[in-house]
Formats: sequence, C-alpha cells, structure tokens
Amino acid sequence: MRKLVSVIIAVAMAGFGSTAFAQSAAPEAKNLDELLELVKQGAYQQNQENKRREREFVEQKSQQATLLANARNTQKQEERRSDRLEAEFKANEDKISKLEEELSHELGALKELFGVLQQVSGDAKAVFNGSIISAQFPGREKYLNDLIAKASSSELPTIDEIAGLWFEVQREMTESGKVVKFNADVQYPSGEIENKEVVRVGTFNLISGGKYLEWRAKYQNIAELPRQPKDRFLETAAGLQAADSGIAPFALDVSRGTILGLLIQDPSILERIDQGGIIGYIIIYGLGPLSLLLIIVSGLTLLVTRGKVKAQIRSDEVNENNPLGRVLSVYDNNKSVDVETLELKLDEAILKETPSLERFLTMIKVIAAVAPLMGLLGTVTGMINTFQSMTLFGTGDPKLMAGGISQALVTTVLGIVVALPTIFLHSIVAGWSKDIIHTLEEQSAGIIAVHAEQGQKGA
Amino acid sequence: MYELIDAFENVRDFMEKGGPVLTAIFIIIFLLWALVFERMMYFRTGHRKQVNEVMASWEARSERTSWYATQIREAMISQVTMDLRSNLSLIKTLVAISPLMGLLGTVWGMIEVFDVMAILGSSNVKAMAAGVSKATIPTMAGMVGALSGVFASSYLEGRMNKEAELLEDHLTKDH
Repeated sequence: MRKLVSVIIAVAMAGFGSTAFAQSAAPEAKNLDELLELVKQGAYQQNQENKRREREFVEQKSQQATLLANARNTQKQEERRSDRLEAEFKANEDKISKLEEELSHELGALKELFGVLQQVSGDAKAVFNGSIISAQFPGREKYLNDLIAKASSSELPTIDEIAGLWFEVQREMTESGKVVKFNADVQYPSGEIENKEVVRVGTFNLISGGKYLEWRAKYQNIAELPRQPKDRFLETAAGLQAADSGIAPFALDVSRGTILGLLIQDPSILERIDQGGIIGYIIIYGLGPLSLLLIIVSGLTLLVTRGKVKAQIRSDEVNENNPLGRVLSVYDNNKSVDVETLELKLDEAILKETPSLERFLTMIKVIAAVAPLMGLLGTVTGMINTFQSMTLFGTGDPKLMAGGISQALVTTVLGIVVALPTIFLHSIVAGWSKDIIHTLEEQSAGIIAVHAEQGQKGA
Repeated sequence: MYELIDAFENVRDFMEKGGPVLTAIFIIIFLLWALVFERMMYFRTGHRKQVNEVMASWEARSERTSWYATQIREAMISQVTMDLRSNLSLIKTLVAISPLMGLLGTVWGMIEVFDVMAILGSSNVKAMAAGVSKATIPTMAGMVGALSGVFASSYLEGRMNKEAELLEDHLTKDH
C-alpha cells in the first residue's frame, strides 16, 4: 500500500515535473507518517482543551444561577416602578385637564376679547399700511405685529398694550381730519432722495413744493408723481403749502391717490404715436411732413406771385416777372392784330400760366384724402390684431385686446390729425391760386382794354 | 361778480371735460363766425362803396358797346365778385372741418376709455366716464358748429350770387 502511494506520488511528480505540489500539502510533515503523527497529537490537544472548558463551565454554573436571580429581582423592581409612574402620570393628566377647564372658565369673556383684539389689530394694520399717515408716523406696524403675535399665542397682552391699540386707532382717526406739515424723505422720479417739508391733507393727499406726492405702501416711502395734474391744480397745492391759517382752496383727490395714479398711466403723445404701429409712423412722419412741405413751398410762391400780380394791376408798366405781366406783354407784342386773334393769343398765354399756379395743389389734396384712408387702414389692421388675440385668448380679458384696439384708434386719430390742417391750409393756398387765375382769366382783357383806351386818348 | 366767476368755472369745467379737441373746435367755430360776420359787415359797407364806384366809372364812360367796353365791364364785375367771394371757401372749409374735428374727439375719447379698460378692466364704468365725455362732447360741438355754419354759409352764398347779379344788371350796356 505504501509502495503504491509512493508510486502514485512519483508518477505524479514525474508527470507534472513540479516539486511545488508535494511541498505545499503539509509544511511540517516530511512524509505521510509524520502527518499522521501530527493529526494524532492535534486530536489529543483538542481533547485536553475541551475537558478544561467543561471543568470551567461546571465551576461557573453556580455563579450564573445567582446572576439570573439578581436580574429577575431587578425586573420585578422596575415593573413596580413603572406602575407607580403610570399612576402618577394619569393623576397629573386629570389635574391638567381640571386646571385647563378652570382656566377657560376663569378666562371666559377675556378669551373673546383677545379674539377681537387680534382681529382689530389685523384690520388696523391693513389700514395703516395703505394710509399716508404712516408717512408721518413710521414704525406703527411693528407694534401691531407684536400685538397680533401676542394675542394669538398663549401669552396675555398687558393692559398698556391693549390701550396702545386703542391709541393708534384713535390717532389714525384724529389725524385723518388734519392738514399738517412735517419733514420726510421724498424720492424724486430721478431716484434722488431728499428730506423736504411735506404737507399731508387728511388721509387723502401728500404735497410738497407745489407737487403731488404718492405714498407707496409696498416700499413704505414717499415719492413724487412723475406726471403731475394741470397747472391750476398744482397752484392750489403750492397755495396750501404756503398758507398758515384760514381757508385755502385745494384740489383734493378723494380717491386717495387712485385718480392721480391713473394720471401716470396716461401715456404721453410719443407713446401714443408708438401705439399706432407702422401705419401710424407712415401717416405722421411720412404724409404729415410731406404735406406741410408742399404747403409751405406752394404757399410761399403763390403769396409772392399774388403780391407781384397786385402790383402789376396798379402799375402802367408791363413787368414780365409775374403771370399777369406775361399775359399783358402778349398784347404789347401784338398791338396790330385784330380783337379776335388777340383774344385767342391771350387765352393761350393764360393757359400757359395756369399749370405753374396749380402746381402741388393736387398733391396736397391727394394727401388730405389719403391720410384719413390710411387711418382707416390702420383701424382695420388693428381690428385684425384684436380678433387674432380674441381667437387665441377669448374675450374675457380686455387687456389682451387693448393693443389692437389702441392701434385701430390711434391710426384713425393720426389720419384725421394730418388731414385736418392739410384740408384747412389747402383751402387757403388754393384760394390764393384761384385768385390769381381768376384775375388772369377775367381781368387781363379788361386791363388791356383800359391800357389801350388810355393809349388812344394819349394819342 | 360771483355769477361771472361761476359762469367762467362752468365753461372751464365743460372745456376740460371735452378735452383739447373741444378747445380746437371752439377756435374753429369762433373763426367761422368771425368770418361770417366779417362778410355781413362787408355787404353793408365795403361792397356798397365798391359797387357805387364801379357804377360811377361805368356811367362816366363815353361808349359802352365796343369790345374794349365789354372787357372792362367783365373785369369790373369779376373784381367785385372776387372781393365779394373772398373767404367764402374758407368758411366752407371750416364748416367741413368741424364735424371731422368732432370725429377726432370721438376717437380720442374712445382711446381714453380703452386705456382705462386696459388698466382697470371693463367693470369700472365710473372711471371710463371721463373718456366717454371726451368722446361725446366734441362730437356734439362739432355738429353744432357744422350745422350753424351750413346755414350761415348757404345764406352768404345766396346773398353773394344775388349781389353779383344785381351788379351785372346795373352795368347796362345799351344807352
């Protein structure tokens, strides 16, 4: 058997050609016999150890029994303590509920009072926040906030604090009937802040230096309105600030700033023109200046020509620097021809003069007709915008439709604004031109006749 | 004195309600009637004088049948008619402009109404009242101006035609 094993090992060593295999199996055993010996010794040692442990356990057994008894004892003690505490807790709870009942009974009407107190101070806070009297007495809010916090918590407000609320409400009421001056920081539209004397008229208006101010509740500051009402209202504001006693007239905004606030929303003329869009620009910056230019040019030339024609009527000399003079010179050049030929030649000369006298007038008239039509075009495009926003957002919100509607209306206004002066000035300029043409057509022959008769008399 | 101040304030408030367009319409109506009265005065004074002068110079002529005489007569009539008709076209233009100004006021007022609507929504009718009065008052004023002007201008035109015909009848050719 040993031989067989050694043969197997030899075969294995020869087959794998490696010494590592045999070495790694048992470092201390040189051969199988030694290994067996080692195993034998190990089993013996284990046995010894187990025996020693057994002995130890047996020794400790009595000790463990006492430990267990101790632990059981402690448990019993703790259970008893827990029962006792539970009973105490229950008793305390009963006591608390009894005391609470007693407290609410004792508070009675006072509880309602705190509710009212909380509500009133909340209301007062809202009123004070928007009231311009806060501009004069800042910091009233903090007191009210403290009071509200106190009234809503379990803490009781003192009589002084409750009386304070009464004082604040009373002060608001008393101050609302007064016109007073005080100093405060005023913010200007430019952003600068300056400490100035401000006059407060009840709860309605703040004025300073003849200008209306605004109390901005959001920022809790005073600001000058960027756009002011008409001068005659501003004069009353300045008068009121200058007045010491007696009666001073003052334009009061009874809506507490709403009407003055609308004033700011009112857009300026340039903003209005912007609302008109492209068509508006074409009307006001294209047609308007064009018609004005044409009117000025034709008006000036016609005025000068008219003056020259009038001078020509009065003078005996024929001056060829004006239409009438040129017509009269036709007679001078054709004195020998017969009356009918002369009349034809005169008509021809007059026909030659008329176009230059009527130059630009048709163009001006066209502008006068086109401007309102352009306005109408803008109206229609504006209405198209309106209906587009209506299909998208419905008719519920007028603000969404406002853009299209204001475009529609503004272009109409611009069209009329351009057309009106054009019509008016055209009628004046056309009157001058008609005057000259009438003079040429109806009076040139007469003037020639007068000259001819005078010539005959002289001869 | 107080009634005067009251009246002044009433007029001022009315003008402010109507807005700047109403002021323009008032200027136009004032100009219109000033021109109409100027024409009325002219019929009585300047025109009479001119007709007398023309008739005198016509009657003073030795002959009134030649081509020269006809042309001179035409020229004289034309001059008188031209002086008679001056300003009439202006008056007519002012009459035509007046309702247009009213329309301008209407649109202007509607813009204000829509501005208020854009800011405050369509529920606040009181806030729109300012815009509505700016829309309606100038329209009314423009109508009043145009209507009164139409009567005045048509009366003036009729009167002018009559005067011109009368003058032509006075300047007789044969005698």
